Amino acid sequence: MGASQVKAVTYPEPVEEALAEIAVLLKGSYRVSPQAVALLLLQEDPEIHALVKDREGAGYGKIAEIVSRVRETLRGAVDEAVLQARQGRIAALAAAVVTESPPGSAAVADRLSRLMMNPWTGLPLLALVLYFGLYKFVGGFGAGVVVDFLESTLFDAHIIPWVNRLVDGHIPWPAVQELLAHDYGIITLGLRYAVAIVLPIVGTFFFVFAIIEDSGYLPRLAMLVDRFFKQIGLSGRAVIPMTLGFGCDTMATLVSRILETRRERIIATLLLTLAIPCSAQLGVILALLAGRPLAVLVWAGFIALVFLFVGWLAAQLLPDERPTFYMEVPPLRLPRLANVLLKTYTRMRMYFIEVLPLFVLASVLIWLGELTGIFAALVRAFAPVVQAIGLPPEAAVAFLFGFFRRDYGAAGLYDLYTAGKFDGVQLVVAAATLTLFVPCIAQFIVAIKERGAGVAFGMFFFVLVFAFGAGYVLHAILRLLGVTL
Amino acid sequence: MRCDFCGLEFNEEEARRACGGCPLAGMCGRLRCPRCGYEALPEPKWLKMLRSWGGKILAGYRAGVRI
Repeated sequence: MGASQVKAVTYPEPVEEALAEIAVLLKGSYRVSPQAVALLLLQEDPEIHALVKDREGAGYGKIAEIVSRVRETLRGAVDEAVLQARQGRIAALAAAVVTESPPGSAAVADRLSRLMMNPWTGLPLLALVLYFGLYKFVGGFGAGVVVDFLESTLFDAHIIPWVNRLVDGHIPWPAVQELLAHDYGIITLGLRYAVAIVLPIVGTFFFVFAIIEDSGYLPRLAMLVDRFFKQIGLSGRAVIPMTLGFGCDTMATLVSRILETRRERIIATLLLTLAIPCSAQLGVILALLAGRPLAVLVWAGFIALVFLFVGWLAAQLLPDERPTFYMEVPPLRLPRLANVLLKTYTRMRMYFIEVLPLFVLASVLIWLGELTGIFAALVRAFAPVVQAIGLPPEAAVAFLFGFFRRDYGAAGLYDLYTAGKFDGVQLVVAAATLTLFVPCIAQFIVAIKERGAGVAFGMFFFVLVFAFGAGYVLHAILRLLGVTL
Repeated sequence: MRCDFCGLEFNEEEARRACGGCPLAGMCGRLRCPRCGYEALPEPKWLKMLRSWGGKILAGYRAGVRI
């Protein structure tokens, strides 16, 4: 047998059969072999399909039928099957000619890398990363120690009383006094939320996130969740917008355009809108639940359940081919402190520049609302809804402003919590409902731009109803079971 | 810079080209990986300047020139 006749790659049986059938049907003249044309047809190459349709005329119908049959048999995963067969052949060829004896550290990194991608070991490792990185460091240290110092020691004990005295002593008009100081003032509320509550929490979150990024863990996470994501109509590639969503859901919605199909992009946007909390929201929620491990578990389990259920439901309602995901995983490495600090600094700087004017604006809007009575009317109108899910009427404020900025709403809940307005169950219900609550206004605008007004408004109303429905169900279940958290 | 997701090395010009079609292209302050689309923030300007000065001083000393 000549070298030119050696078969380079053997594909799965349905693909091989289809290649043989199509190769026989191809009558036209092409620059490459009939098998190569057949393979491109199976992979739905639009240019090859147009070319074959043109050259084969009536014969194209039979060829298209074979292509459809194979894609149906493999549930759309033809590209994946072809890539895996090629990768297997490459690995076999490389193994036959390459002898590798990695140095000690490389061997350890390689083993650890494999453990991170294996579902049996990868999921417990992910749980460890989340426990120590998010719960202990962000929730315990950032939201506990740092926020406690900045809020209680610095703002509550020194800055706020001083600002209140200064404003009352120098400004004779009560309306302007309220704008700058007291309950909803720019300094006492907007600046305090931004500097004392949200910034230390997002700072510790960005630090942990930078370590995860710099270590090369993210691509391994993508490989780990690929099979789970396939069940909800996504692929491992969706880890990119999902991970960026933990930073900012608005930017993540824009990034979801990297996903292959419109179906994937819609599902990813819906899940970002519904079940992925942004960094500040996540941090403040962890701060709310800090010191209550069972409450964290119930909240995280509930959100994960909602994520999977809604994703699965969306995948059923939007049937399409399974997306493919294939990537070369870069090496695992020890994070460099300089890189981690630089990334944390740049993210915190950008976040602060973005968030401070909005928090100030939110305070001004609340002040205006207070002055005109609109705010009280809105809270009164919204109060029955929050009461229906077992929360005190004051929580309506946090939800109203959660739409303006998710983190602002979460910081409002934190204020209510420190004022002793919630018990353990109410805390979990409030945290879960706010996590699922409608996106902030910026994400909503981006969703309209990216997915179209119909889809964005549909998602908005679905999420609004679903969040409170889910909160109601969670509250009812926890009360029914007599759970204390 | 190196992409934190796929490991691709790319420069700011390539990142800018990868933003084609995005409504926030050039305004969001982020750099997009041309291969996988993962986004990162660029190095701050003051650090770039510091690096550039440090590099010039070092190059000057290596060449035996007093600055």
